[in-house]
Amino acid sequence: MESRTSHIIDEVEAVRRIEDGMTVAIGSPTPMALVRQIIRRGLKDLTVVDVGLSLDMLIAAGCVRKVVSYYAGGGFGVPVAPAFRQAAERGEIEVWECEEGILTSGLQAAAQGLPFLPWRGGVGTSLPEVNPDLKVFTDPIRGETLLAVPPIKPDVTLLHAAVSDAYGNVQHVGGPGWIDLFMQRAADHTVVQVEKVVANEDIRKDPWATTIAGADAIVRVPYGAHPFYSRGYYIQDNAHLKDYLDASTAAAKGDPAALHAYFARYCREPETHADYLEQIGIRRLLGLHEY
Amino acid sequence: MPSDVSAQDLSPQEIMAAFLARDLKDTEHLMVGVAMPIVEAAVRLAHLLHGPNMELIFFGTRMNVADRHTLPLPAFAWDNRVVRWAESFSDTGHRFEDVKHWHKRIFFIGGVQVDPHGNTNLIGVGPDYATLRFRGPGSVGTPTLSTHVGRYYIVLNSHSPRILVERCDYMSTYGWGSGGADARKKLGLPGGGPKYCVTPLCVMDFDEEDKHMRLHSVHPGVTPEAVQAQTGFALRMPDQVPTTPIPTPEELHVLRTRVDPEGRLRRM
Repeated sequence: MESRTSHIIDEVEAVRRIEDGMTVAIGSPTPMALVRQIIRRGLKDLTVVDVGLSLDMLIAAGCVRKVVSYYAGGGFGVPVAPAFRQAAERGEIEVWECEEGILTSGLQAAAQGLPFLPWRGGVGTSLPEVNPDLKVFTDPIRGETLLAVPPIKPDVTLLHAAVSDAYGNVQHVGGPGWIDLFMQRAADHTVVQVEKVVANEDIRKDPWATTIAGADAIVRVPYGAHPFYSRGYYIQDNAHLKDYLDASTAAAKGDPAALHAYFARYCREPETHADYLEQIGIRRLLGLHEY
Repeated sequence: MPSDVSAQDLSPQEIMAAFLARDLKDTEHLMVGVAMPIVEAAVRLAHLLHGPNMELIFFGTRMNVADRHTLPLPAFAWDNRVVRWAESFSDTGHRFEDVKHWHKRIFFIGGVQVDPHGNTNLIGVGPDYATLRFRGPGSVGTPTLSTHVGRYYIVLNSHSPRILVERCDYMSTYGWGSGGADARKKLGLPGGGPKYCVTPLCVMDFDEEDKHMRLHSVHPGVTPEAVQAQTGFALRMPDQVPTTPIPTPEELHVLRTRVDPEGRLRRM
């Protein structure tokens, strides 16, 4: 008999499974090693389910045609992520306008194979006008006005977690990002990048701690969420993110030099995640201990 | 502790925080979203002064920190270290699974635009949605929160006719719709709706009958005329407009020494 098949692949192979035009959901903590490979490969016309600055990077790098997002703030006092704002204002990206409850309803509808799930938040607002996929309807049980949220079905979901064994049994530290579980349930294919690959025995010591059972692919990338945080491992690298935000802001104002340099240095020149970590440097990384 | 507080020594943001804090009741669950420093200060002030059983929910981090003398919160929305204070944590997706229990939950909302009936807009500004003149950050969770919470406050960092408009270009939350005390009930929205709109110039409430925005009080040194001049629609004006009460010496002492020792609210 053949032995059980390992789900471990590397970040380059993982992103080869994504094609132009696919719908890609990106969880939280942010699987940045995979996001950087998407940018490096120059994927195009993606529909991206994401929030914040990783979304901004993908837009700034030209990978995105459509955005499914409830929040694209810049942080650091910048109310709107710069590349998102500019691309949306110019009509270069389409926005599937939603909010947290609508997004999770759509992901859950996909997971359960339903044509829609009802949601109340958004009734009376402009959301169903600016997003015609959301249908206002009268419920057949109590006659109430609700929104029908259609399935949001990622072709691929990309997540970051603490550990997994070789067979895709993922365990988070400090609880999963719960949006991650919605994204994983809804997707055709889920890739989880992890800080560490552990033995199957380690997973079986505490099967109750397994948050995702049987991820399709596991990518081992220590510090793989950098410059974002990874619960139990490191905090967010605010100085790095601020540099990106400044570069993206300057690009939106017509000076793309710093943004081009950022993408060259951190996404295009490093072939692998290990190359990226060398670019960031060991001192910087070790300075990001939790707390 | 200062024995007397003079209005000249206060920033409008400190007056806003103290006003909001007084309106919050013990045992309420106070949910604070991103980028709202005045609200952060208000809930912590209320918690320390009269709310030992309040629950503070910053993003998904639920805490009771009434026994902490000071609380050096990081910029929580972007920093997972805030969970050091948490008794529980709930993340996107998980946060909205218990709306049935939200009658005790209080929320605070900003906006790119706010209209006379307390409808707000975080989507954007401009006639053509496909090419907005200003693209906003998106609705976050405000449509669901405003639908279900017991009541909420609209808190604005600035007061201008660009923000307070006759009609929002897009509505991301439904406050009182096109008006009327039964507007929310007719749509089946269970929450209590917006109670006050608080700005650096004044406090506004909503007429009991038609739920049109009405001047409630002006901060010290501000006239009703000045408020109207900075508002993009005709405010309801009561015959007498009181001055917003300034913080008591005790409130100011706690605010400046325990809640905001770095003076963020004096530098906005």
